[in-house]
Amino acid sequence: MHDNIKIKFSWLYMLALCTALFASCEIDEVPDPNNPSEGVISSDASLSEIQNVVDGTASAMRNSQQFYYEGVGVIGREYYRFSGSDPRYTSDLLGKGSAVLDNNTFYTNNPYAGRYRAIKNANILIDALTNTTASITEAQRAAGIAWAKTIKAHELLLVLNMQYNNGVRVDVADPDNLGPFLSYAESLNAIRDLLHEAETGLGGADSFPFKLGDGFAGFSAPADFAKFVHGLLARVHLYQADWAGALDEANESFMDNSQGADFYTGVYYTYSSAGGDFFNPLYYTPGSTGETLVAHSSYVTDAEAGDDRVNKVSARANIFQDDLTSDYDFAVYQTKTDPVAMLRNEELILIYAEASAQTNKPTDAVDAINNIRQSHGLGVYAGGQSTDELIDEILLQRRYSLYGEGHRWIDLRRYNKLNTLPIDRVGDDVWVEFPRPADEG
Amino acid sequence: MKYLFTRTRLVFIALLLLSSTAMAQFTATGKVTDANGEPLIGVTVLAKGTTSGTVTDVDGTYSLRIAQEPATLVFSYTGYSEMEKQVSRSAATVNVTMTESSTILSEVVVTGLASSIKRSNAANSVATIDSKDLTGVTVQSTTDGALYGKFTGVNISANSGAPGGGTTVKLRGITTLNAESQPLYIVDGVYYDNSSIVPGLNTISKAAGQGSTNFQDNQSSRIADLDPEDIERIEILKGASAAAIYGSRAASGVIIITTKRGKTGKPTVSISQSVGFQQQLKKLGVRDWDAAKVEAAYGPAQVPLFEAAKSAGKLYNYEDEMYGEKGVMTNTRFSIGGGSETTKYFVGMTHKTEDGIVKNTGYDKTSIRLNLDQQLWDFMDLSVSSNYVNSSADRGYFNNDNTSTTMGVSFVSTPSWAELHADANGNYPNNPFAPSNFLQTRDLITNNEGIERFLVGGALTTRLITADNQSLKLMMRGGLDYYTLTTTALFPRELQFQKDGNGTDGASVFGTTGTKSKNYSAFLVHDFNAEAVSFKTQLGVTQEELDLNTVLSTATFLIGTQTNLDQAGSVLTEQNTIDQTDKGFFGQEEINWQDKVIATFGVRGDKSSRNGDPNKLYYYPKGSLAVNLHEFGLGGNEMLSLLKLRGAFGQSGNFAPFGAIYNPLVPVIIGGSTGSLIGTRRGNPDIEPERQTEIEVGADLSFLKNKLNLELTYYIKNVEDLIIPVQLPPSSGFDDAWQNAADIENTGVELALDAYPITGSFSWHTRAAFWLNRAEVTRLDVPAYNVGAFGATLGTYRIEEGKSPTQLVGRPLTEGIPTVFGNAEPDFQMSFNNNLTYGNWDLNFLFHWKKGGDNVNLSTLLSDIFGTSPDFDQKSLDPAGQLTNGNYRLSTLGVSADAWIEDASYIRLREASLGYKIPRSKVKNLGDIRLAISGRNLINIFDYNSYDPEVSNFGTNALSSAVEVTPFPSSKSYHFTVGITF
Repeated sequence: MHDNIKIKFSWLYMLALCTALFASCEIDEVPDPNNPSEGVISSDASLSEIQNVVDGTASAMRNSQQFYYEGVGVIGREYYRFSGSDPRYTSDLLGKGSAVLDNNTFYTNNPYAGRYRAIKNANILIDALTNTTASITEAQRAAGIAWAKTIKAHELLLVLNMQYNNGVRVDVADPDNLGPFLSYAESLNAIRDLLHEAETGLGGADSFPFKLGDGFAGFSAPADFAKFVHGLLARVHLYQADWAGALDEANESFMDNSQGADFYTGVYYTYSSAGGDFFNPLYYTPGSTGETLVAHSSYVTDAEAGDDRVNKVSARANIFQDDLTSDYDFAVYQTKTDPVAMLRNEELILIYAEASAQTNKPTDAVDAINNIRQSHGLGVYAGGQSTDELIDEILLQRRYSLYGEGHRWIDLRRYNKLNTLPIDRVGDDVWVEFPRPADEG
Repeated sequence: MKYLFTRTRLVFIALLLLSSTAMAQFTATGKVTDANGEPLIGVTVLAKGTTSGTVTDVDGTYSLRIAQEPATLVFSYTGYSEMEKQVSRSAATVNVTMTESSTILSEVVVTGLASSIKRSNAANSVATIDSKDLTGVTVQSTTDGALYGKFTGVNISANSGAPGGGTTVKLRGITTLNAESQPLYIVDGVYYDNSSIVPGLNTISKAAGQGSTNFQDNQSSRIADLDPEDIERIEILKGASAAAIYGSRAASGVIIITTKRGKTGKPTVSISQSVGFQQQLKKLGVRDWDAAKVEAAYGPAQVPLFEAAKSAGKLYNYEDEMYGEKGVMTNTRFSIGGGSETTKYFVGMTHKTEDGIVKNTGYDKTSIRLNLDQQLWDFMDLSVSSNYVNSSADRGYFNNDNTSTTMGVSFVSTPSWAELHADANGNYPNNPFAPSNFLQTRDLITNNEGIERFLVGGALTTRLITADNQSLKLMMRGGLDYYTLTTTALFPRELQFQKDGNGTDGASVFGTTGTKSKNYSAFLVHDFNAEAVSFKTQLGVTQEELDLNTVLSTATFLIGTQTNLDQAGSVLTEQNTIDQTDKGFFGQEEINWQDKVIATFGVRGDKSSRNGDPNKLYYYPKGSLAVNLHEFGLGGNEMLSLLKLRGAFGQSGNFAPFGAIYNPLVPVIIGGSTGSLIGTRRGNPDIEPERQTEIEVGADLSFLKNKLNLELTYYIKNVEDLIIPVQLPPSSGFDDAWQNAADIENTGVELALDAYPITGSFSWHTRAAFWLNRAEVTRLDVPAYNVGAFGATLGTYRIEEGKSPTQLVGRPLTEGIPTVFGNAEPDFQMSFNNNLTYGNWDLNFLFHWKKGGDNVNLSTLLSDIFGTSPDFDQKSLDPAGQLTNGNYRLSTLGVSADAWIEDASYIRLREASLGYKIPRSKVKNLGDIRLAISGRNLINIFDYNSYDPEVSNFGTNALSSAVEVTPFPSSKSYHFTVGITF
């Protein structure tokens, strides 16, 4: 019995030991085993993690982008989006009968949320660059942040293009404390200021602290990227009707108005067939039915004879849906992996032309117009030199040069000419802007 | 905790000194037999008012040292009436004949992590069944399948008829709005992982959108791995008032399973063999086509094809061809148990094979169990349980899809004149009516779940103090549940939906999930008997760890007939890991005043890495009171032998979904580079566990010498801080965020009647139960929203303050608000279980009635769209009497969801058996031989317009069960069993 008591006590001590051990020790925090988390990246990112966030941001810019282009393009009567599974492309977007734009459905929400998700990622990148202890120079840090700000400005401008007079929220760094909605004019000012900050930040560095993808080829050094920033500024000033500013920025940008210049120089969204990557969402197999993009027939009928830009559409078997019809496919993109332009030289030349016309430099404007016309197989401009006449010509050139790239609706809205768009069915409407998404409260 | 323990240790030493005081002692001996004079082994003999006791040995004899005379011995044995006998030094030999109890009151039910209580003193309604009710009637495929209709307050529903199981278990209503709503299973003290793991069929079916968690792969439940024949007993803690000691994992209830163990004595060998078959539970038939109907449904071009097939005798009944198999089922069982006073062993082995009602489906399982109990010293026992399971389930390819390729969807899309049969060379024609030839799919695909599971648990019990009026026990437990689930989904490239650019030229989806779940605990249990009051004190610490790792690889563009992942043009791999550590402690005090008043109170504290702050302790208190009025003279006679009022209160928790505290950046690809992009659902590090508070009150009554027992229970269960994804302004960059944003209240009534109307050579034992639950959303911080199923057009759930969380709504909308068409929750359920014996014959049957509760039946929708509904041409639905059922339902599509929301009531004969025990004398004392014929689901009465109202396209998802889309049809089965025990 005595021995047993001893054994009992040794067990008791062992138990006391065990218990004390496992009751007293703390539970270690389990970091997310499946993904990197925002907190870690924002506070202490390595250079490779920063690279991942850059690539993630570039990829995010493509999320839901088809809804942006299709929404803007359909309302701008550039093309129809026929869909077997969703009638709203041809009803709501074109204002068929009593249909109106919905504030809580895919064409309103998806492009809006897609752009703000990219902005969120750019904000994470700014935090990561600000706080990282990786070995980068202060100039590189500033240049990296400038890249992120440029992307934010670009994405905000796309949201603003859809939201127009509803304005946008610019300050969204803290999801718990979102900034106010600014008016259209204030929003443009804020986007312009962001781009100015970016331009300043790019000044000191020879290189970014990360690599940029193929879409930024030719713009991957800070000094070259600054020319893209100026190009975006030119677009913003144009939207602000700040013609002098637009002209200055166009001149500072990568614009090349020389004869034979490559109109397609610019910054692009890119696609690939790599597993998990995106295909160009605006490419449809020619002649496809069901889900497809077909050109508005006025694009062909309104074209001047000899304009090679009519090749942006291709003849197809007639397709008819919801009392709408077309004989042409939308053919701006030839393959599933063709890039889509964010900003390219041809737009900058046209911005330069428009700003010149508006600042009473008709000769410069006509030179630019002629460069565009002659490059596309047309003769020189023979119309009047008044500002109004020049603007009409420039809007026409923009319609054809930038076809399907999301400009016509915005251009006509800038000049209060939305009423010049064709109405295909009795009762159709041309919307001025998309409604603010319901979840914005 | 450390501090507390140190103080406790001082108390032990003091108590130990007390216990060593010697007293005048004598030894009581005797033999315990049953009414037939057979010795009873393992009867507990206890000196009343003390904790000194023993059990009878293999000859039924006992020997117990008694400290003080006169003393009273209490004899107790499960299934027999408790007896008390006086014993003194002069009359120290007491032989006892125990009689079989006609009451359930003598059994014990759990009250703590390391303690139990006589049912007659319990303050909770704990549902229990033993092996006799679990597997004694008919052959059970899986443990989950063996539970239907056997517990009050428990809602068990099969997700489909696919071999290998898959059930949704809801205890007292809905307790969470998340996917993780299944109860916690504990087998011999080991936390038994019941994860539902998808096999990746979604790659082909596209049933769930990218990123959606609502998979519809019809996966099985992992509790199916446990062999039901190993189970001695199941106890269900239905709500927090009973389950609070399990803390933060117990919100959906706890199912405690105890397996069989050896008993002292000669080896007892049981061998049984059964053979049987299963067949489709309900045949729907096929539509009777004629030329006019063909033209209306498929256009004039099909009419000559139909006529040609008809005249060639080639109109096929594809229901018979698909679901007409009579699947052979065999079950072989061997067990042996026995042991000495100090060593007891139990070995159980089961091998079963089942063929499904669809060709190339089936379920094979082998389970081996070894349970050992060893007394190491007179103060220390070791008990070990171990189980190895290997199973393989071929489950076919059914349920919803968005590619019309599942056998279920393509079956309803195909009329009877389609020719789908392979030619003499085994070449299948393409199905002209659907993207899939379902006969080809059935014959060529593989959808297999394979399990290798190893479970081991050990308990070490040390009796630190054994004195007359007190005892102190130390129990240490550890358990490991380790399994590898292998899912293999093969879609060869010659399938109609894989070849010729229709798919990905073959797909091989191979998943492995390795799960390691470990738990450890240590408890001290102190019993103290004072004159009038006894105390039972428990203190303990617990730790649980879960490590689950799923890798799912999808290979497409396969080379020839190859299925290896590297024989492919493209491989996509996903990995998902869950890593969790929980720690907790608990303390509980039970006070019993002469069996008159029994009070219990306790608290559990839990912390977990699943919470935003892993070291924050969450406390879950409990308290209960039982008052035996019959001990106060109210009743206490033969007429009313027991009258107990009871009440219990408790809290328990439920974690946020794994990952809810994180703000992840998900991988994206651009131009061959990998990027990190913020996820669309914002994490919430401040998320709190969902907390449930349950109050249960009830009364237990026994009449007529315990021949009639009645148990009445009422409960209110409030679940607070339910976690739901709440929409965020999209300018935040997120779609939604996890938040604690809703409360639900469940109230319910449970009645159970247990009676022995006839006893003697002909005896009848009957049990009837009735239960119902009502739920209401009592708080919702966000606007009402639709969730689950497929939206308002076809019927969906809707979470709305003041309404039931299981309401089913749909179009038409009135000012944006959908119309309520039903509720997935049953109005009530009843079960009626009977055992009759006459001589060597026994008859057992269990009826189960579910009244009310609606389903969203989209099998009907799909078959209507393709004109194949068997009732298409009847005219019973249109109030105007104009349209046929099919046309009427289709005319409402898009306008109203009414036609798809159907009453899913049923009455079933769940189990029935007729057995005959051959007397030993007739088989030269070879042993007890029992022959039985039995069956499952033999009678099924329901109006529901499909195979079975018990169905769930979304598996165990809390707010999407009761939705049907072309499932694997249910079956009924018949068995013949021979068993011998010697």
